[in-house]
Amino acid sequence: MQVFLQTLIGGVTFGAVYALVAMGFSIVYRTMGLVNFAHGSVVMIGAYAASTFYMASKLPFAVAVLVAITVTALIGLVIERFLRPLENKDFTLMLIGTIGFGAVLEAGAVLVWGATGHAVPSPVATGPIDLAGVRIPTYSLLVIAVAAAATGLLALFLQRTKRGAAMQAVAMDHQAATAVGIHVGRSNAMAFAIGAGLAALAGSLIGPMLYVNPTMGGTLGIKGFAAAMLGGFGSMPGAIVGGLAFGLLDSFAAGNFQEYSELVTFLVFAVIVMIRPTGIFGETTVNRA
Amino acid sequence: MHFTRFSIAAAALTALAACAPPGQSASSEANATGPIKIANVNAQSGQLSSLGQWEHKGVKLAVDEANKAGGINGRQIKLDLFDDQGDPTVGTNLARKIASEGYIAMLGTAESAVTLAMSPILKDAKIPSITSGQSPKLAELKSPFMFLNAPTSVTFDETLAEYLVDDKGYKDIALISNNGAYGAGEHDAFLAALKTRNVTPLADEVVTPDQKDFNANLAKIREQDPEVLFIGAEEVQSGLIAKQARELGVKAVFAGGAPVGTDVYATTAGLENAEGTVVSSPYLSNEASEEIKAFAAKYKAAYNEEARMHVAKAYDGASILIEALKQTCGEGGQKLADAIRGVKRAGLLGNYAYDANGVGIHETKIGLLKDGKVVPEAAS
Repeated sequence: MQVFLQTLIGGVTFGAVYALVAMGFSIVYRTMGLVNFAHGSVVMIGAYAASTFYMASKLPFAVAVLVAITVTALIGLVIERFLRPLENKDFTLMLIGTIGFGAVLEAGAVLVWGATGHAVPSPVATGPIDLAGVRIPTYSLLVIAVAAAATGLLALFLQRTKRGAAMQAVAMDHQAATAVGIHVGRSNAMAFAIGAGLAALAGSLIGPMLYVNPTMGGTLGIKGFAAAMLGGFGSMPGAIVGGLAFGLLDSFAAGNFQEYSELVTFLVFAVIVMIRPTGIFGETTVNRA
Repeated sequence: MHFTRFSIAAAALTALAACAPPGQSASSEANATGPIKIANVNAQSGQLSSLGQWEHKGVKLAVDEANKAGGINGRQIKLDLFDDQGDPTVGTNLARKIASEGYIAMLGTAESAVTLAMSPILKDAKIPSITSGQSPKLAELKSPFMFLNAPTSVTFDETLAEYLVDDKGYKDIALISNNGAYGAGEHDAFLAALKTRNVTPLADEVVTPDQKDFNANLAKIREQDPEVLFIGAEEVQSGLIAKQARELGVKAVFAGGAPVGTDVYATTAGLENAEGTVVSSPYLSNEASEEIKAFAAKYKAAYNEEARMHVAKAYDGASILIEALKQTCGEGGQKLADAIRGVKRAGLLGNYAYDANGVGIHETKIGLLKDGKVVPEAAS
């Protein structure tokens, strides 16, 4: 039982981060119909930005995270600006463009921070909470809380604000949205910026749990992408459920299948996607590709 | 034994005799002029690039010194760097490239898996290589053209088991290792060392090299309450395992090979969590001996960063190659391989004496982590 609960805690913590990464993928996809392959690298830049500000300037961690979100949101805007001429013209080139940006960001990180990477001290000093032998690291609680808060804020923005509603409209039918006077380019830019900001949040949260280096985005990107697929690509609740499900799947597979865990995780994932190609919360409205 | 020593010495002498200054003897060798081409293959990009960059700096330091001192018989060494990206497929392509472009020796790689993939091609092309890999599989290849600049996992883990079981009397030992080339080698070697001491591990958890969340594996280990947790993984993953183990309340002493002696491990785990980790390594710290201190100072002057084992062993490997090249007057092939095998060198990692499998160092030392630094444990 203790092993089960401990596995659950590990799974939920990483699941929360995967959910944030998946939400970033999804918000760009639902708005533009585009898979942003640079997303994993943006997560990495976010992790670097937050940890560098945090460790070098002794700023409180929360401030460092906000700085990181701003920096990466700007990167998101730049990526979107480069891709805009291709919007609705050449979809494949746009996809390849995002892959290229991913490589550029990774190479840029090596130039700025070096290839070695650095470990980030935990911003929460208190020890783990002991609940009847099950240990919950306080930092895990923070990660889960911040991820939940970010999800809530994003849902509010999409449903309660004019700009959010405009983005929803673009997601559903960009031609109709243009017809009613919504600036599609601006919506896309905002989707990219929010996506990058979410990536930065995920990156800054995972930094102290892992080791920040230029290639850390690879695995996180793939797992976040898989989580988004599992939940239903383009769906925000799907991203959350998919992220948590993927985190749990990963951690229980690690406990039960040892070195075959990755194989089992992705096999289960493949089977689920075969049975339900649209994922758990698949939406048919977002099919512009 | 004496005979082989004698024949090596004789071969070296004949080689020296043939080393007349250029222009004086009508040498039949057509390629005995111009720079000597040596390839350095190491990951400069990708996940293992930090290792590859350290290795390259160590090699370059040794080659630069040799060139400044006049090179090999007046010929300069031309060191070319190739990026294998830590990928065996890229490695095999590079091996073919090296063979076709006239390199006479290769230094690298830092990754056992890449070296294993390259080795058959280099062997066919009769190109000697000195690798920084330490997987026992490298020695099992028994290639006469491959040499290691560090001990294999067998040596690391035999020394570690001797310290933990024989000296300290620990019997409750758990293992966690990854199934990559390095981790699997560590796992098998340590398990074998335990077996010869009739110790059965309480737990034997295997993870994947990419895994980040070890809650499930560590919770199982915690149930067994071991005295020692052996970690067989690379620097970062070892650090994550140590950190999460302490968070879960695992009280065991951590033990491992060279990766747990690095600052990457210590900072990833957190200094407090890493405290007391038992390290088995031929290169414990930059202060271990006068020679190492001098080397560390030289390295710092050249690159403005601290030296470490990967740098030192790459330096040792390159120095051995240079010594052998001096004996063959820059000639490669079988002659160079034999010359490398004959080199006896008091290096930074220990005394090199190559055996038939290409392993030059046969012992490691034990150290303990204190405040993120390895302190040599007094020999008992």
